[in-house]
Amino acid sequence: MRYLLAVVVILGGCATVEPPAPVSEPASVPVPAPPGAIENPAVASLMDGARADVAAGRLVNAAASLERALRIEPRNPRLWQELARVRLKQGDYAQAESVAARSSSWAGGDNRLRAENWRLIAQAREARGDAEGARAALEAAERQR
Amino acid sequence: MSRLKKFWRYLGFALHSVDRRKFWLCFRFALLSVALLAACFTLYLDFRVRSEFEGRRFALPARIYARPLELHAGLRISQASIVEELRQAGYREAPREGESGWFARDGDGLEIALRPFVFWDGPQPAKRFHVAFENGAAASVRDAEGRDLPLVRLEPLPIGGIYPANNEDRVLVRLGEVPKHLVQALLAMEDRNFYAHHGFDPRGIARAAVNFFRGRGLQGGSTLTQQLVKNFFLTPERTLRRKVTELFMAVLLELHYDKDEILETYLNEIYLGQDRDRAIHGVGLASLHYFGKGVEHLTLAESALLVGMVRGPAVYDPYRHPQRALERRNRVLLETKNRGYATMEQYAAARTAALGVNPKAPVGTSPHPAFLELVHRQLRRDYDEADLRSEGLRVFTTLDPRVQAAAERVLKRKLAQFDREKHFGPPGLEGAIVVTDGQTGEVQALVGGRDVHYRGFNRALDAARPVGSLLKPVVYLTALAEPARYTLVTPIEDAPFVWKSRGAADWEPQNYDKTFHGAVQLRTALAQSYNAATARLGTEIGVERVLATVKRLGVERALKPYAATLLGAVELSPLEVAQMYQTIASAGFRAPLRAIREVTTQDGRPLKPYSLEVEQAIAAEPTYLLTAALQEVVREGTAQSLKNWLPPESAAAGKTGTTDEQRDAWFAGFTGNRLAVVWIGYDDNRTANLSGAAAALPVWGELMAALDPEPLAPPRPDGIENVLIDPQSGLRADGLCPGALELPFARGSAPAERAPCASALGAAVDEVKQQAKSWLERLFGQ
Repeated sequence: MRYLLAVVVILGGCATVEPPAPVSEPASVPVPAPPGAIENPAVASLMDGARADVAAGRLVNAAASLERALRIEPRNPRLWQELARVRLKQGDYAQAESVAARSSSWAGGDNRLRAENWRLIAQAREARGDAEGARAALEAAERQR
Repeated sequence: MSRLKKFWRYLGFALHSVDRRKFWLCFRFALLSVALLAACFTLYLDFRVRSEFEGRRFALPARIYARPLELHAGLRISQASIVEELRQAGYREAPREGESGWFARDGDGLEIALRPFVFWDGPQPAKRFHVAFENGAAASVRDAEGRDLPLVRLEPLPIGGIYPANNEDRVLVRLGEVPKHLVQALLAMEDRNFYAHHGFDPRGIARAAVNFFRGRGLQGGSTLTQQLVKNFFLTPERTLRRKVTELFMAVLLELHYDKDEILETYLNEIYLGQDRDRAIHGVGLASLHYFGKGVEHLTLAESALLVGMVRGPAVYDPYRHPQRALERRNRVLLETKNRGYATMEQYAAARTAALGVNPKAPVGTSPHPAFLELVHRQLRRDYDEADLRSEGLRVFTTLDPRVQAAAERVLKRKLAQFDREKHFGPPGLEGAIVVTDGQTGEVQALVGGRDVHYRGFNRALDAARPVGSLLKPVVYLTALAEPARYTLVTPIEDAPFVWKSRGAADWEPQNYDKTFHGAVQLRTALAQSYNAATARLGTEIGVERVLATVKRLGVERALKPYAATLLGAVELSPLEVAQMYQTIASAGFRAPLRAIREVTTQDGRPLKPYSLEVEQAIAAEPTYLLTAALQEVVREGTAQSLKNWLPPESAAAGKTGTTDEQRDAWFAGFTGNRLAVVWIGYDDNRTANLSGAAAALPVWGELMAALDPEPLAPPRPDGIENVLIDPQSGLRADGLCPGALELPFARGSAPAERAPCASALGAAVDEVKQQAKSWLERLFGQ
């Protein structure tokens, strides 16, 4: 009898019980593109410019172009990652590591991007002489697969 | 006369009676001395002229720019706000073919002819393009051939300078850039024989001498060289001695330098008007100031207006005395024509032209002195004060003119309204606002008081005031970093609380509503800003640890480790509060608040950039949990009145703050794209009778609503899971619990116990599922 009651309640509940309001969860915003994809032509042109600057060794300009792009799309993990790469080339290892971590914080489900960030972090740690930290970062990169 | 006679008599006597040879020796010696003295004087003057003229670097103020507007398709911006920005940059509304520096409206579109501009990363040539607007955004940006432009960087607005002590401002030009007709008009009016004389013009001097003996004082007759010498080396007093020195120096100047060098220096030196406390010097700045264009684009009529002002920029001020200025201009035109520098046709056309000066409000040394002060302070960490005031550095800042204008407008309006409603007499309430980009830490606007043009006390930077409940989030953040002990639903006792410590009076925090609420969930204690619960929580985890968190968030000021600190009995400036909340807004990554992006030398060589720096100061998980709690403050806590300005889907996070006897009203919070801190109170610490929710929150809400807020949706870190919770009990719920909430928890930290609503039913459901499974299995014989 108890079971029957429960079944009735469940069946009835389907119609009457409202779905829980996910109010405390930060409001979800429709994300127009998968994280990391560059769709905005303005951002794409800055990214291209930054890559050209890197190729030409103009690292300061490359970083500045990426900052311009980040002002347009601060949540784009690819831009943060590119900036981490430039910081690494500039020899600013602490920033390379922090910025790569910032990239991962926006990466969502993009594990490949995260893995790449861990590899950047590993390189930064390696360059700073932190072999153990570098190894740990590489292991973290492996875990992202 | 008798003295002269005596002298001659003495001389005659001497010549006859004293040894002639001895006398002549004396005489020659005296003569030699005089000649030597004169030579020394000349040498001294020569030295001065050469060293000062040669080594003469006009003291050029550091020039400060706002951020350049980066225009691209999809950018949320209205036609009106671009027009406003172009106007402020001195652009004219009317097509001027072949020129730059104008815009024209066509329905929903805008045609813009950008002036060339040297950015820190290189020059950007003049550019003509078209923007189409749709639904409050730029729909397309295209060049003259209709091709899409991915990104156009507009010329940044100049927002002031760091000036030499005399507030002289100028933009240097080369003689080659100055139109011929300007030079000709100048020579026609001021120095007709400039290219012929040697520094002084005997005819001019004769005229001046005649005037002098007629008792009209010393005036006129100066060549350009003399005028330059006067402005350069001498004081403005009018004595004969000065006049003689001036003449000497003019001749010396002409000996050393050619005419074009002297003319170029003159054109850059000449004083041409006043913009509040800022002195406009040189034709380069004057043409920008009066006509909004580079000197090379000045027409004959415009040139004549400037030349006419040489003799009296205040008397012939085209803004204040347009008629007088027009008459003066026409006199210059007439002289120019009479000297054969202009044809009859050119003269006739120029004469009928309107004055054509830019309609613009006086700006002075800066329209936003409070923001400029922040820039100045940040610059002083890396540059010498003297260099800032003389080397003509170009400083590119983070100021967003649209945000700044909105912040100034809202603060002024709201303070006036509070003054009226509460019948506060003078001096009125004061306030301060800091707005930043929550992700990068760039300061977009800074208001230091209700009189935004006031250069004095800057409350945003220097008013250290008790922060009250603004500090509470730090207590909760510190707690949430220990998920095994504290989650958003952990019950906290909101009951009478006494804190005893040696050498200090007992501390018994009261709640704002003077009642205690018993066991409340952690998220509720923050949402309702309960003092007793927060004090209990803070002392449980330890004041020192909370202060360590404050420091990690970016507050450099050392705070006293008293228990009362937990409830905000510490004084911070609005800027420091902004830094603290910035780290929370950007997922625990601290980015030092910056007002500067780049600095270049006067000729565009980039100096040290002020790049974006981030550092993970707080782990992502507790920051995410705290953000959820701060969103609850807005949704159903002390800041719920924010719904009057922002829709619920904006999901803003924030915290109100009110200090003892309502002396300070605060609101700090962030949306998806911006962070702002608002403080309101009296300078003399009087009680303002306004709470954070009643005074600071409306300012914050109105400001944010005006700035296209993006919804706040921080990315969920890996270590966070969402769990259904029964809001009453704070225990695990299931789909059947009415009003169940999905709350974030550090993985594995959510309560295991089921809420009453779930337990009976939930257990039954599990059993039914189990039964059904085995029943089905039996049925299908598995």
